[in-house]
Amino acid sequence: MADELKIDSGALIFATLADVYLSSGMIDEAISILKDGLVRNPGYTLAKIILGRAYYMKDDIKEAVKILEEVYTEAPDSENTNLYLGHCYKKLGENEKALKFYEATIKINPENSEAKKELELLKSEKVEEKVAPEEEPKPEAVEVAVPAEEEVIKEEKPQEVEAAVPTEEEVIEGKPQEVEAAVPTAKEVIEEKPQEEVKPEIEEKVEENVEKEKPPEETKPAVVEEKVEPQPAPAVEVTKEEPLPEIGLEEAEKKETPLQALEAPMQRLLKIKSVKGAFICSRDGLLIQSYYDRPDIEELCALIASVISDADESFKFLQKDSLERGIIEKADETICVVTAGESLLTVITEPEAKPGLVFIYARKIIEEIKEILG
Amino acid sequence: MKLNSIVKIPKVLGAGLASDDGFIIDAQFTVGYDAEKFGATAARVVSRIKKSLELERASAILYTQKSVFFIRETEDGIFFAICQKDANIGLIKIKIDKALKK
Repeated sequence: MADELKIDSGALIFATLADVYLSSGMIDEAISILKDGLVRNPGYTLAKIILGRAYYMKDDIKEAVKILEEVYTEAPDSENTNLYLGHCYKKLGENEKALKFYEATIKINPENSEAKKELELLKSEKVEEKVAPEEEPKPEAVEVAVPAEEEVIKEEKPQEVEAAVPTEEEVIEGKPQEVEAAVPTAKEVIEEKPQEEVKPEIEEKVEENVEKEKPPEETKPAVVEEKVEPQPAPAVEVTKEEPLPEIGLEEAEKKETPLQALEAPMQRLLKIKSVKGAFICSRDGLLIQSYYDRPDIEELCALIASVISDADESFKFLQKDSLERGIIEKADETICVVTAGESLLTVITEPEAKPGLVFIYARKIIEEIKEILG
Repeated sequence: MKLNSIVKIPKVLGAGLASDDGFIIDAQFTVGYDAEKFGATAARVVSRIKKSLELERASAILYTQKSVFFIRETEDGIFFAICQKDANIGLIKIKIDKALKK
C-alpha cells in the first residue's frame, strides 16, 4: 500500500494506509501521511477523522478535538466523529459534552457497542455522584465511618481527577490511550498508599468530624485533598505548580516601574514601518525614557526641547496660544514631537513616514504619559 | 510665489513670506489676523530649529491649541501659512509644496 502511495501520491489510499499504521501503533507515521495527504486532498473528511483519532491516540486531545470539531461542523452525522469527540471530551473531563456525543453516536448507529458502553459508564458515574452525598453522613462510630470515607474518596476522586485530567495527561506522556486511563490512575494513587497510613488519617478526620458535628459536605472534600496532596502522583504535582506563575506575575507587576507601563504602546508605535525610534524627555530637555539606539540621544533631547519650548513661548507671547505638537522635516528624517503635560514624546521617522499614523499611536501613549508623569 | 493659491484653500487663514529677522516681505491674511506676529514667530522658530538641529533649510508644521502653523525656509525667505485646526492639513501641505516648487 505504501508503494501504491509512492506511485500515486494524490491517491486517497493514504487514509487507509494511515488506518493500518494506527492499528499497528505507528501513530506518528500515520499522522505524517495523513497531514501530507490532506494537503493534497483538503476536503477528504475520512482522512480528517482518522487524523483526529490519531491525535487522540497520541494523547494530544486538544489537537484531536480541534480537528474533529472541524469535521463535525462539516458532517455532524458522522458516527466516528461523534464517537471520538465523546472519547476526547471524556478524557478532558467534560462529561456532559461526552455524554451528548455518545448519545449522538448511538442515534446514528444504535449498534455501536463502544458508545453504548461509554454512555452507560458515564451515566452510572453520574448516578453515583448524586447518591454519594446521601450515603455520607455516618458519624456514629469510627470503624463504621472508615469504609464510608473510603467509598467517598473513591466516588469523589473522579471529580477531582477529571478537573486535573488534561494536565495529568500532559505530564504522563506515552500512556495508554484508553479513555478511562486517567481516572483509574488517580484511583490507584490513593489505593497504592499503604492502608496503615491512610486509615489513621481517615480516622483522625472522622473523629474531628464527629467532635465538631460539621456537615460531611464541608469536611469530606478537605479529606480528599489532604490525601491527594502528599502523593507523588503527577496530577497533584501539576496542580501544585499551577499557581506559581500567577504569583510570579503578581510580583513582577509589583516590581514594574511606572514607565514600564508604556512599553507595550511604545512597542506598537515602534512597529510602524519607517519609525526609527522614539524617546520621552522633559520640557527642559532631560531624557526620561529612550526607545532609540543612538549615541547622541541626550543631545537630541535637549535640542528638541529647546526648539519646542522656544516655539511654545513665541506662540504664547505673540498669539496667546500654546504648542501641542510639531513636525520638523529634515532631509534624512522627520521629527514628530507631541507635548504631554510636562513631557515631550519625540518620534523619529523616515522622511516618507505617515505622520498621521504616528500621531494616532502617539495620542494613546500621551494619555499614559500624562497619567504617569503628569 | 503665488500666495493666492494657498490662501484660497478652505480654512486657511493666511500665508506670508518673511525675512530671516521676521519682517514681512509679502502676506495675505483674512481680516483680524496679524501677519507681522506670525512672521515674527515663524522667523524665531526657524532660527531656533536651524541652530539646534544644524539644518540648512528648516521646515516644520506646528499644531497649537487654536491653529496649525506651516513654516518653510525658502530661497526667497521664510514662508509661513496659518490654517484652522480642523483643516485638511495633508492637502494644505501638498499645495504648499507645489507652490514652493514653482
